[in-house]
Amino acid sequence: MTINHAIPNGKAVTIRTTFSRETSIRIDIKSTPAVVWALLTNAPDYPRWNPSVIFIEGIIAPGEKIKLKSALDPKRTFKLRVQEFEPQQKLVWGDGQGSRTYTLSDNKKGITTFSMVEKIGGFMFPLYAKYIPPFDASFEQFASGLKKEAEAIINTK
Amino acid sequence: MLNMTPEQFTTEFEEIRRQLKSYILRITASIADTEDIVQDTYIKALEKLETFRGDSTLKTWLFTIASNHAKDNLRAKKRWVENVTDLSREAALSDPTFFQESMRIRMTSPQGQFEIKEHIAFCFTCIGKSLPLEQQICLLLKEIYDFKVREIAVILELTEPMVKYHLHTGRTTMVSIFDGRCALINKQGVCDQCSELNGIFNPKQKIQEELVKIEMAREAGNADKERLFDLRMEVVRGIDPFESNAAELQLHHLEHNSKVMEKYLEKNPM
Repeated sequence: MTINHAIPNGKAVTIRTTFSRETSIRIDIKSTPAVVWALLTNAPDYPRWNPSVIFIEGIIAPGEKIKLKSALDPKRTFKLRVQEFEPQQKLVWGDGQGSRTYTLSDNKKGITTFSMVEKIGGFMFPLYAKYIPPFDASFEQFASGLKKEAEAIINTK
Repeated sequence: MLNMTPEQFTTEFEEIRRQLKSYILRITASIADTEDIVQDTYIKALEKLETFRGDSTLKTWLFTIASNHAKDNLRAKKRWVENVTDLSREAALSDPTFFQESMRIRMTSPQGQFEIKEHIAFCFTCIGKSLPLEQQICLLLKEIYDFKVREIAVILELTEPMVKYHLHTGRTTMVSIFDGRCALINKQGVCDQCSELNGIFNPKQKIQEELVKIEMAREAGNADKERLFDLRMEVVRGIDPFESNAAELQLHHLEHNSKVMEKYLEKNPM
């Protein structure tokens, strides 16, 4: 799996074009891919550790449909489909307007590099882009929440 | 290879039986299923005695067999809900036979006392059944039955990181549930059943005098949520749900709660 190490650790980066917007974040987590994956794929447990998520309904599994409500836009419920599911490596979910990709990389030193990329866009993007709030702060909350939780878990005695 | 004779095994099994019984009861909430599973564990272990090499302790080995039986038993059954005690209370209030039987046990059984500590342990069992099964089992094995993470990994055939995941997630969830629900530790807690039932079964007792005997209740204003949960676990560790002075009364309550949950989950599939 390719992780873009040019992205600073824990800081979201957004690239805008006329027809798209892509936000990325990368963070090193002192935990195992198995633990990070368990957190990412346990839908009902998200609100407990992830301040950017209000709820996720459904089962995060290949081909499944889920409903997600984000703290960034609490009035909307996103209906998403799990498009790719490679245990402990890659998870992708999305809808017609875009997709979010989670990638885990085990660097074998007790550290898992987590990256999250969301790309939205299309021909109509210029018409509605201004109504979509920036993702950067939400991404940073997500990543730091995941890091904190995964590291607390691995340090459990 | 260990050469344990069936007689030696049976002697050792009897020393572990009480713990196995209470463990399986806390997972299944069914006396009948507990008796069956403990018996099946004994039979299976005896059949496979030659395969026990001493890589783990006998206790770990027996808990492994018992846990597998319990998981099979619960595979098709739904988890309970967090507010099981509220729903069970409502059902009890509308069923005169429930309290009639409770009072009969209270008046006639040598194991019919009502003690707040016993009810704390009972409540932990009920609310523990609202966790995903792996979380409940990991929490019981670690907090109540004193297994280490590596032993739990053997019992449940999980990696140690995944045991830690289930332990942490289960414990965090339970701490949060009790913080919101339990009036013994939080004045805003929605459930006051321990005090309420104590008033019914021990009307001459003064509740504050009883609560002050329980460290968890004494520390409620001072200690943080994690410490209060540790104190709750100390209470649960000290109770054998089959042997205690309140066993018959609490088992009657547990059967009642099980029936309430069965009906509720049929009508409210999740």
